[in-house]
Amino acid sequence: MNEPTIVPTPVPLTPAASTPPASITVSERKQARRENWKLIARRPGFVIGSVILFVWIVCAIGGDRITPNDPLHAGLVANNLKPGTTYNGVKLWLGSDTSGRDILSRIMAGARDVLSVAPPAAVLGVLGGTVFGLLMGYYRGILDQILSRIIEALLSLPTLLIGLLAVTVFGKSNTVVIIVVAVLFTPIVARTVRAAVLAESDLDYVTSARLRGESSGFIMFREILPNVSGPIIVELTVRIGYAVFTVATLSFLGAGPPPPSPDWGAQVSESYHIMSAGIWWPTIFPAIAIASLVIAVNLIADAVQSVFEA
Amino acid sequence: MVRYLIKRLLLAVLTLWILATIVFVMVNLLPGNVGRQILGPFAPPSEVTKFNHAIGTDRPLISQYGHALKNLATLDFGTSYQFNKPVNDLVRPAMFRSGKLAVLALLITVPLGIVAGTIAARRRDKFADRFIVTTGLAASSTPEFVTAAIISWLFTIELRWGHVFADPPAGTSVIGQVRYLIFPAFALVIVYFGYIARMTRAGVIAAMESDYTRTAVMKGLSARKVMMKHVMRNALGPTISVVGVQVGYLFGGILGVELIFNYHGLGSVLQAAIGKHDLPVLQGAVLSIGVIYMLATLAADLLIAWLNPRVLAQVKR
Repeated sequence: MNEPTIVPTPVPLTPAASTPPASITVSERKQARRENWKLIARRPGFVIGSVILFVWIVCAIGGDRITPNDPLHAGLVANNLKPGTTYNGVKLWLGSDTSGRDILSRIMAGARDVLSVAPPAAVLGVLGGTVFGLLMGYYRGILDQILSRIIEALLSLPTLLIGLLAVTVFGKSNTVVIIVVAVLFTPIVARTVRAAVLAESDLDYVTSARLRGESSGFIMFREILPNVSGPIIVELTVRIGYAVFTVATLSFLGAGPPPPSPDWGAQVSESYHIMSAGIWWPTIFPAIAIASLVIAVNLIADAVQSVFEA
Repeated sequence: MVRYLIKRLLLAVLTLWILATIVFVMVNLLPGNVGRQILGPFAPPSEVTKFNHAIGTDRPLISQYGHALKNLATLDFGTSYQFNKPVNDLVRPAMFRSGKLAVLALLITVPLGIVAGTIAARRRDKFADRFIVTTGLAASSTPEFVTAAIISWLFTIELRWGHVFADPPAGTSVIGQVRYLIFPAFALVIVYFGYIARMTRAGVIAAMESDYTRTAVMKGLSARKVMMKHVMRNALGPTISVVGVQVGYLFGGILGVELIFNYHGLGSVLQAAIGKHDLPVLQGAVLSIGVIYMLATLAADLLIAWLNPRVLAQVKR
């Protein structure tokens, strides 16, 4: 995506284009990229998704500086107050939870928990998957065979269960969750990238680079990588959505940040027991927050996908 | 067919072996002393040593690994640390209960997804198509426990159409059990419906654009015959393999749904095992689900091969 300008571009070696001035091809590529993003920005799904995502990013950055009340203050108001109640002059738009904390403030602050874990996990997973995919697709042979079997085995389990097992073994912390989710995503991304690389590596520009005597590393990362960036960008947006999904579920199942944290999954897990008593707001509002974030990310991913894969 | 079957079986065994190895490596990376962790900081050292000997963690890793593989081959996963009971006594009944919920969900999702996907494909780019694809995408991207919480609140608490506690009392008839399980199943249906519908849609569109469908229409077959005999038979391949894969995912997503609906399946067993560091139970559950997953994908592949003989021809080459 952000390729430096010195990349030798795969221009067909017709006499006229045999020595293309670098500046022209680069600006053409920039233009093509700009066109792509314009097409993406025109899709209604992308606009809706971006607006929702923007709101949550603002909440995540602002944290308790912009929440109406302290999200961690237990006993701020009485327990389990209904949405819309005013208590001692404190307006509770979304009600209070079992510890007398303001749910709206907790949901706003909780955006930080999920947004500081899911996107880094997805980025790491895509990086790892890209490296493995390039190696497998470029070298093929026995390495590819072995790694493909291992990938098949890794893909054969609900990622969630392996994630739970791993978090239990390595301990609960954001770093562990990020690494676990990244490792779980690596084989999935590797498979996609491998397929794209396989299709590329038979093309003439790769052969000519090889004949020029370029190193394998150069060919993989400077020649092939820019040409498979489309599927990688698509994979990244899709993976961010799945990362939010996985991180939220892990914290709901008890593998997330510990109690006072306003993490959304943890909020649902703390309060769903009392839903049967008619106290639904401490469960349903964080649940809706999770749903809105995953749907927003997926709307964006869908728009990106439909433009890049057209 | 026999050759294909043998090839697929070997692949399944190989995959299970890799899986067992991954789980073994992960579990044995656990820092510290298992006996100390289970018995607590105040247990006398002699007791800890005895415990470690009893569960075998003082043996060399290679012998433990052999033991783990033997366990997998015999589907016997040892003894739970926390209950001192065979893991199978805990995992199997829970699995059976989760399985009931999963089967009910699949019985609803698969036909619904196939019908919706076919409608979407036949009304491509019209409102019905956009609606099915978009809601399917939104629904399948939402975590199961979130969908379950919203459904539980809406239908069992506000509208009182179902049971908040989905555990049917002992001796409930099959129909009665379905009444208890219908809303948790519905939560799973919402999540998995989108994938199946999208796969079917893509398959039907590809089949409808093919030459053989055009020929079938041109030679004057009725629309119904074209759909049933030519389009669907070819279009359902990807759908069936997605269903096979989903059986595995269903056993992951089902955990959250079970907890929300207070249903005692694998979800509560796993949650307790995580809380108590009960690794044999976790290991047993993960590997049992792995076995189920293998069987499901195997069945899906065989079904595809039976529906579409070209798959077999490809294998032979």
